[in-house]
Amino acid sequence: MKILVADDSRVMRQIVIRTLRQAGYDDHDIVEAEDGRDAYEKVRSEGPDLVLSDWNMPNMTGLECLQALRGSGSTVPFGFVTSEGSAEMREKAADAGALFLIAKPFTADTFTEHLEGVLA
Amino acid sequence: MTDVSDAGLRRRVTDLPPAVAELIDEATVQEIAEQAWLALVGEDEVLVPLPAPLPAETLSSWVEIVGPWTGWVALTCGRDTALDLTRALLGEHAPEEVEQEDVHDALGELANVVGGNVKAVLPGPSVLGLPEVGTTPPSGREADSVRVALLWRGSPLTVRVQSVLAERENEVSL
Repeated sequence: MKILVADDSRVMRQIVIRTLRQAGYDDHDIVEAEDGRDAYEKVRSEGPDLVLSDWNMPNMTGLECLQALRGSGSTVPFGFVTSEGSAEMREKAADAGALFLIAKPFTADTFTEHLEGVLA
Repeated sequence: MTDVSDAGLRRRVTDLPPAVAELIDEATVQEIAEQAWLALVGEDEVLVPLPAPLPAETLSSWVEIVGPWTGWVALTCGRDTALDLTRALLGEHAPEEVEQEDVHDALGELANVVGGNVKAVLPGPSVLGLPEVGTTPPSGREADSVRVALLWRGSPLTVRVQSVLAERENEVSL
């Protein structure tokens, strides 16, 4: 299984990857993307089984990336890991086809809770 | 004419958003920072609410919030503390010599997470900006801010939620 982690912060990508390991997903291949555009291109080239994406990113936001993916026919499972989790954002995420939205700060338990069904 | 002018002024004053201290208190800001530290810096990394003077050379990171309440949320600490925070956030991936780009990234991400959670407490809908890093955050009237002084591993840092109300300042000069 392959997980694409998209965040413009290298530090946050490392924290997400570390948390994935703490949650028990340490045998998955990890691909990193540094903004929404990079994530979009890597979904096409790497074919991940799951995308974990930040929302606020330069060049292309996580939401725009998801909308572009769905517009191009991609059905890759997609979840947000972002610093805000307002009801409005959760609704926008769900409407665009996201499976979940994990608000930072998060714990390994939060990851397990949301990823169990997706990466089973 | 005078009545019309007065009515206009009263309406503008009435429409001003409340001071930030009426919207969020120090305890909430501290709790948000503590949660961010435990999750991002490490599960044993506590913040102690004790004021201590910041060193002469500091680094700040901040995120802007624009909406019914407009302002910024800033994190300020000494440069050495910023380096230690970066190493802690990068964990096993921390290089021997941490680059400035990583320090800015780490401090910016902490402000981003704290700011995102402060935004959730303040009236919305509002928009969170991308984090910025520099020696000093943007200016703002300290009287219209909530500031929390904390110690991390014995080193001081502050979290400040600052209103930016140009209109309010203009009104005062009338």
